[in-house]
Amino acid sequence: MELFLRDIKDNTRFEWKELISDLKGTIDYNPYCKTDSYYGVFKHIIVSMMLGKELILLDSDFSNDELLKLTGYSQYASFTEPIPEGLLNVNDKTDLIEKLRNTSIDWKVTLFTSGTSGIPKKVTHNFNSITRFVKISERNAKDIWGFAYNPTHMAGLQVFFQALLNGNSIIRLFGLSPTEIRREIKANVITHISATPTFYRLLLPCEDTFHSILRITSGGEKFNERTMMQLTGIFPNAKITNVYASTEAGTLFASDNDIFSIKTEYEHLIRIENNELLIHNSLMGLSDLNISDWYYTGDLIEIINEKPLTFRFISRKNEMINTGGYKVNPHEVEEIVLTFSGIKNARVYSKSNSVLGNIICCDIVCDENLISEASFRSFLQSKIQEYKIPRIIRFVDELSTTRTGKVKRD
Amino acid sequence: MEQRLLEIFNTVLQNRGKETRTKISLKSNLRDDIGFDSLDLAELTVRIEAEYDIDIFENGIVSTVGEIMDKLKTNNGTFSKRH
Repeated sequence: MELFLRDIKDNTRFEWKELISDLKGTIDYNPYCKTDSYYGVFKHIIVSMMLGKELILLDSDFSNDELLKLTGYSQYASFTEPIPEGLLNVNDKTDLIEKLRNTSIDWKVTLFTSGTSGIPKKVTHNFNSITRFVKISERNAKDIWGFAYNPTHMAGLQVFFQALLNGNSIIRLFGLSPTEIRREIKANVITHISATPTFYRLLLPCEDTFHSILRITSGGEKFNERTMMQLTGIFPNAKITNVYASTEAGTLFASDNDIFSIKTEYEHLIRIENNELLIHNSLMGLSDLNISDWYYTGDLIEIINEKPLTFRFISRKNEMINTGGYKVNPHEVEEIVLTFSGIKNARVYSKSNSVLGNIICCDIVCDENLISEASFRSFLQSKIQEYKIPRIIRFVDELSTTRTGKVKRD
Repeated sequence: MEQRLLEIFNTVLQNRGKETRTKISLKSNLRDDIGFDSLDLAELTVRIEAEYDIDIFENGIVSTVGEIMDKLKTNNGTFSKRH
């Protein structure tokens, strides 16, 4: 028996065999995927690949307002179409993986990322762009992945494709308590985990050791020395890798510490301008970000060595807030906050935080009517995703502004 | 002190629409017993810092109510509540 997915949150477990027979029995296809079932998302991706059709991945917690804004619809049942007989038939796991590795050039996957100037932006990848950094080899055939991301986000997709195209098992770790995570690592002999720094921080302190883990990958902020030592202690056999990735480009660089280098074959595809990292559009998915030849990442770097190029990430140029690995655009949240009746002005900003890296805060100026924090919070819950909702809300008489009259964010 | 901590806990739980608690014990585990997730713990540390001027998770995440109390007690040997 070969395990495809175990998800204790759903209390489900699927062998590859069960997946294959489920595919055979699937009779229709809808290009929109919105479900909180990990198996549902994974199967939907596989079906779309086998059909060579576009798939639009929606976060399961998008509100109706967000869906309307992003896709123009909030209901998708009418998009369902029948699948011609036999298209999803495969003999066995090897046959399925072979088919998936040869996915048609017509296949694409669309997901949404927080844009820099208001509403989230659509980013579309084809098979080549999304699997560019997937490593397929005999060496990876026995990997067992701890899945610690949202499956409809870029980082989750990258882990999914790495596992899928190598025929690996996937064990859900996202959304579990630290006790459950530790239990799942041991029970399933997980070998690889890719997760946000917050995920690892919440696993600590831990007196147990996990010898099965061979590699842990993280992205974004650098671990401090103490965290690094604790991680080495609980994962004594693991190589710790730091990656730089974005929704627009996927994984681009990996490093053993916080100093990144780039493979020679990609060197001509990145450029540095005023310390900002630029990526050539050939490395990007198709998006409506208006990319000409070069995409300005908004990430500021410090060059350590010119040739060969090595560098370190310093900060973000724009105002996107990284909270526990999620990127939040303060302008998008402000727009929603200001639609609540009784609010005259608002400022969404971040404060550094020892758990999430950054925490979202909001200062609010009310008009003469008093508003209750509880009703305001429940309004936000109906409008935007949980991780975008300000955790600290302050009612103030006026917002602090910069000298040019702009609302000050930090 | 424990009472005030319970009030802070309940503010955080309420903000997420989670069930509040009537009591906590020193042994209560923040995640397994109280039900805090990473967003809640992040908010908790801000609220406790605002009142007691100490970042309880600065040197790693603590697991139980008792460990929070220890952190607050060792902060200058007293509960140096702000305001």
